[in-house]
Amino acid sequence: MAEAFNFDPDKNYDEATMEQQRNIEKEISANQALVSFQIDFDTVSADYSKEDETYLGKIQDLKIKYKCVRRTRGDGNCFYRAFGFAYLEQLLTNQVDYARFKEVATRSKDELVSLGFPQFTIEDFHDTFMDVVEKVGTPCTTKELHETFNDQGISDYLVVYLRLLVSGYLQKKADFYQNFIEGGRSVKEFCNQEVEPMGKESDHLQVMALTSALGVAVRVVYMDRGESGQCNHHDFPEESSPSVYLLYRPGHYDILYS
Amino acid sequence: MILFDLPTNTDVMAGSALKRLLAEYKQLTLNPPEGIIAGPVDEENFFEWEALIMGPEDTCFEGGVFPARLTFPSDYPLSPPKMKFTCDIFHPNIYSDGRVCISILHAPGDDPMGYETSAERWSPVQSVEKILLSVVSMLAEPNDESAANVDAAKTWRDDRKKFLEIAERTVRKSLGI
Repeated sequence: MAEAFNFDPDKNYDEATMEQQRNIEKEISANQALVSFQIDFDTVSADYSKEDETYLGKIQDLKIKYKCVRRTRGDGNCFYRAFGFAYLEQLLTNQVDYARFKEVATRSKDELVSLGFPQFTIEDFHDTFMDVVEKVGTPCTTKELHETFNDQGISDYLVVYLRLLVSGYLQKKADFYQNFIEGGRSVKEFCNQEVEPMGKESDHLQVMALTSALGVAVRVVYMDRGESGQCNHHDFPEESSPSVYLLYRPGHYDILYS
Repeated sequence: MILFDLPTNTDVMAGSALKRLLAEYKQLTLNPPEGIIAGPVDEENFFEWEALIMGPEDTCFEGGVFPARLTFPSDYPLSPPKMKFTCDIFHPNIYSDGRVCISILHAPGDDPMGYETSAERWSPVQSVEKILLSVVSMLAEPNDESAANVDAAKTWRDDRKKFLEIAERTVRKSLGI
């Protein structure tokens, strides 16, 4: 039987809860790279029990259409990290799009400042972001990029900057995005609570905003309990030809390779 | 199964935190907001700051000077610092041991007091200056909806005269008189 709970007024329960949360996070990080090596679909199948025919069937479907997967850590930042890595990896071999992206990325700082973000905090993240963008432009290998994305200090700063780009874009187009926000919150409140803080998961809205802000087309392939036997997908923006492929399983994004 | 050989990243993260704290310190020294002084306790350790906060004008804390400590985590500014007054201060949003309890010191979800949904939370674009300005507003306008000191919240709500008397004593004590 569980021990009876006696409230101890001198004990700080908030901090005890937060401590427990931090320990769970530590455990996750000890077992999972921020961005993994490429793995094949048989390894993904091992996530599921042999009786789980729905998911195993869908993995077979993926196997026909895609080569392999890169996992990202399930820390609430997976969409940003998966998108960031997959797109920059593309740019390693695409000079034309690299030049376009570099210009967009450079310009983005002033746009954020003009939206009212404090200049010196934005600069902090933008500097790190641009260092990595520069690095991608000098001859850089996938291995080096992979190392950069697993350096938590740099990797988290990249995630922050992508979050800020989403926040900026949603606020810039507030009239439109207000329609999608539930709970009577303003776009600014939504951004402060759901987009800017680390560890907050992403939904459709964030995916739409980031792909629009950077002009990058993304296909999200959904693997869920639906009975169709095949994985549905959605392209952001609609009817584009995607350059980044992400695999979505409820609550989590990984990278797909076609 | 080990997918990747994970390095320990505490030092790397503390490096970017240090860079950011130096920049914030410089900024606060060059353009100090009214009624606030803040900086590292000593130059050897940038993760521990002391702040002096003047009681805002036209409030019961006017004239007081209240010292507080800020403790920064190694992954600052991804996570917020903690803040604690080191003087006696009787206020609905300050625990009796001095810890400050306002929404900007918490990331969303990390939410012990059930703040209003519109309350501003911690995110990496916030700063020490934003925190201290929020603390000044908190001194000026106690929020008895999400009280850290229930006794202070009750007194503020039900016995304003007594609250003002205690505040006046706090102000005088903070000045050493």
